[in-house]
This record gives sequence, C-alpha cells and structure tokens, in this order.
Amino acid sequence: MTNPDAKPTIDGTVALALARLAGFPTLDAETTARIAAGASNAVSAVRATATVPLFDAQPTSFVAELERLADAP
Amino acid sequence: MSFSAVDATLVQAAEAVARGEISSVELTRDCLARTERLNPNLNCFVRVDADSALAAARRADQARASGQPLGPLHGVPIAFKDMFYDKGQETSCGSAVRAGFRGETTATALKRTRAAGAIELGALNMTEFALGPTGHNLRFGACHNPWNADYIAGGSSSGSGASVAARLAFGTIGSDTGGSVRLPAAVNGVLGLKATYGLIPRTGAMPLSWSTDHVGPLARDAADLARLLAVLAGHDPLDPASSTRPVPDYAADLHAGVKGLRIGVPTNFFFEEVDTEVGRTLALALATLEAAGARLIEVAVPAPEHLTELSRTLVYSEATALHGYFQRSCPEDYSPQVRARAATGVAIPASAYLEAVLLRPMVLRRFVAEVYGACDVLATPTLPIPVPTLAETDVGASAGMWQTIARLVRCTAPFNYLGLPALNVPAGFTALGLPVGLQLIGRPFAEATLLRTAAAYQADTDWHQRRPALS
Repeated sequence: MTNPDAKPTIDGTVALALARLAGFPTLDAETTARIAAGASNAVSAVRATATVPLFDAQPTSFVAELERLADAP
Repeated sequence: MSFSAVDATLVQAAEAVARGEISSVELTRDCLARTERLNPNLNCFVRVDADSALAAARRADQARASGQPLGPLHGVPIAFKDMFYDKGQETSCGSAVRAGFRGETTATALKRTRAAGAIELGALNMTEFALGPTGHNLRFGACHNPWNADYIAGGSSSGSGASVAARLAFGTIGSDTGGSVRLPAAVNGVLGLKATYGLIPRTGAMPLSWSTDHVGPLARDAADLARLLAVLAGHDPLDPASSTRPVPDYAADLHAGVKGLRIGVPTNFFFEEVDTEVGRTLALALATLEAAGARLIEVAVPAPEHLTELSRTLVYSEATALHGYFQRSCPEDYSPQVRARAATGVAIPASAYLEAVLLRPMVLRRFVAEVYGACDVLATPTLPIPVPTLAETDVGASAGMWQTIARLVRCTAPFNYLGLPALNVPAGFTALGLPVGLQLIGRPFAEATLLRTAAAYQADTDWHQRRPALS
C-alpha cells in the first residue's frame, strides 16, 4: 500500500522517455534528473495549493481578476 | 556643454531638450561616445545603431526648432533588449537559433517610445531567449557588471541594467518572466519595474511564457520610471492579456511622501535565507522609510514556499511548448544550458499546468486579502544574496547552476505568478562595492504607490546617484 503523504516524485528515466517522445535532443542524466525533480516539485506545489475543488472553476481572464482586485475595498 | 548623460536623469534630459538647453544630437553623441569607449569591456550592446540614432536625433532637433509638439521622451536616447521585434530589423533574442530572424511586425513598446520622441541607440545584450538570471550568453558573450566587471550583470535583461548604470542610455526596456527586469536593476544599482500583468502590452516582444511575461522599464530614478511607464502602459487590442483600465498620471503624486503608508515586512520566507550583509543593508533601508513617515508592519505571507514552484510550472510548461519546434529542428543552435532549460517543462503533467492556471486567481485573491489587508506595500529583498561573480555562475547545465538560479529568483518569481507590480530600488552597497536592491510589491495596478515609495526613499538617500568608476 502506498503512503498517501509521501512526496510524489518521478525519476530521470521518465523525464528522458518524455523528452524522447517529444522528439527533443538527447539529454544527459544530470539534466533529466533535474527535469524530473522540477516536474515533481511542480506537482507537489499544485497538490499543496489545491485545497478546494476546482470542479466549477472557470479558466477566466487573469487580467480581469487583477482589475477587479485593484478596485476592491 | 553643461549637460551630459553622466549627470542627467531621463526626465532632466527630456526637459533640457524641450527648453533648448541641449540638443538631442549632443545627448545622443554623448551616449554613443561613452558606448564606444565602455561597451568593449561591458558588452551591454549587441548592436549599436549610431547612424540611425544620430539621424533620428537630428530630426528631433528639427522638430523642436519648427515648433512641433514634443512627446515626453522627445530627443532622449534609450535602448531596448534585443527581443523587441522591429519590422524588417534583425532581432536575435540572444540566440543563434534566431540568427537572421526579422520581425514582421513592430513591438507596441517600440511604437510607443518612438511616438513619444525617444531615440533608439541599438539592441541590448540579454540571456539567450531570456532563459536565465545571470546574463551569460554563449553567442554574444556575457554582459559585465559596471561596478565590477568580474560580477554578473543579472538577467535576463543584462544589457538593460548595465547600460543604465554605466550611463550609456537614459532608460532601457527589458522583459521580466521571473525577475528579469528587477534582478538586473538590483545588481547594477538602478531602478526596474515589473508592472501589473496586463498593464504594458507584450505585442511584438519575444514570448517566453505568455502567462508570466511582462515588459518593463529600467532607469535611474523614480521620476524616470514614472515617465517611461506612462509611455508604455495602456490597452493594446493586439495583446489578448492587455488591460483596458485607464492609465493614471504616475507623476502626479510622485513626491507626496510616505507619511502613514503601511509597509509590510514579511515574517516568513523572503528574509529567511537572506545574506547577513544584505539583510543589514535592507534593514537600514526600511528604517529610512520609517523615518520618512512610513509604518513598518510585520506581515505573514500566505504559502510563499509554493509561489515560486507555481510560477515555474507556468513558465517552463509554456516555454517548452514554445521551443518544441526549435528543439526538434535545430537543437545544436542553442547553448547547452539554455537547451536544457527550454526542455524543463517536458515532464510537467498537463493536468498540473492547468491546475496551476486555475488556481492562480484563487491564490491571488488570498494573497491580496491577507497581505494588502494589513499593508499598502510589501518590502522584500530583490536578491537575497550578494551579487555573484560571472565565474561562480558559469557552471553550465549542472546542479550548481540550478541552485544558483533558484537563489537568484527566490524573491522575484512569486510575483510573476501573482501578476502584482514589483519594483527594485537601489538600497546600498556591500563591502565589496556591489549594489543591494530593495523590492517593493503593490496590490494590482498600484504602480503609483510603488513609485511614490521609491521617490520618497530616493529623496533621503543617494544610492541612485552614485555611478561606477569606469575608464
């Protein structure tokens, strides 16, 4: 059984496979490890931030939100 | 000649030209002469357009002599980062990938500064494709810090920061996707503004990440920035993210002071990894603002540790998509480290990227409510460490390079995700004589408050008036 609290990670082999799939040039092991760590951090940050359902969220204009907040009391 | 680029600010130069105290040709010759003398060592410019600049300056002088209306930048030499398209003119974006590329349109920022009467001196050095905060560039060579040529000029708008500090131009235009205006401003000891997302159109500017790209000005003082911002800001129907809000008069309350202004000092994250000397310098800067009448208030910033990663999620997902074709068709034209950076998003799941997009308004609402419910302006380091050397950051695509980048953008990248206006103001020097910068962040579209705060600080300090000893 997996630990639901464990930090999600992927490793460099996954990143390398995705880069190859995308047709990108060969990347060295250090770079693919870095890319994998970055992707893992991205997912972790999203998971930690998404504390409410996004089910009804609309991909609205971010500028409109900035404008609305500028005028908010 | 009583007036020179070395002594005058952009506003002073524009007013002197308008009054006929100096000609645009004289100003332009002065900047070109300094550039000819200093650029071989600093490498701020990748292209100097001396002939066309002098021709434009002559036209500006003729226009004034014939009584034509003068724009707010009339006859004043400025320069752009080499990523703003100018129809028919080669734009390198700092990369061999774009060698020979000529834009089919002209950037809105260029059109607006031209309409305001500015003289363009040439194209400024930058990090390749704006992908990096140090200013290294394999195609054109690194840009050097005018305070000490062994140190970085910052990035990605390296030439934009160094040329203002070296008095090669009265103001410059750069771009900021994770700190690329504010970091070069900080390490070169000048002001730099990333305005609210949507305030300055990006039309015709090289894209890196459409969700987090900002165009921004760099200059020597707050009045200069206010003038440049007034020229650059305002709706552009060609930029789908352009705000329709009217542009205020940024100079109106510039000298109203900070009496009663609440300046928030974060209790978490932003000062946690600050270098001792940088922290001491910034504490003095905040004390100066307090002495000028501002109230310093401790503020807990909500979930700051995730903001940089959320910003990176947008930047690298979008950058990897934009660079996909080049990665497949001409990978050898990239420098190795930039090719690696441009592939960073390849393993970020599309769902994570889209969640970061959907979360963005919610995160912003919480940040504005909790931070700007308590203060008017948030103050942080721009760069939490002393300016590093070129050598120590020239490490290629290694773990050391990534750690350096993470430290450089730690305090700036969060505000690209949030889209909030953020400004660097020079706040002192380290014992080695390298600049330290204070970052001021405002609520959406509160640029006037940031400029007023910077102006109040500059009224009581002279950091911005100091200039590097260059021979």
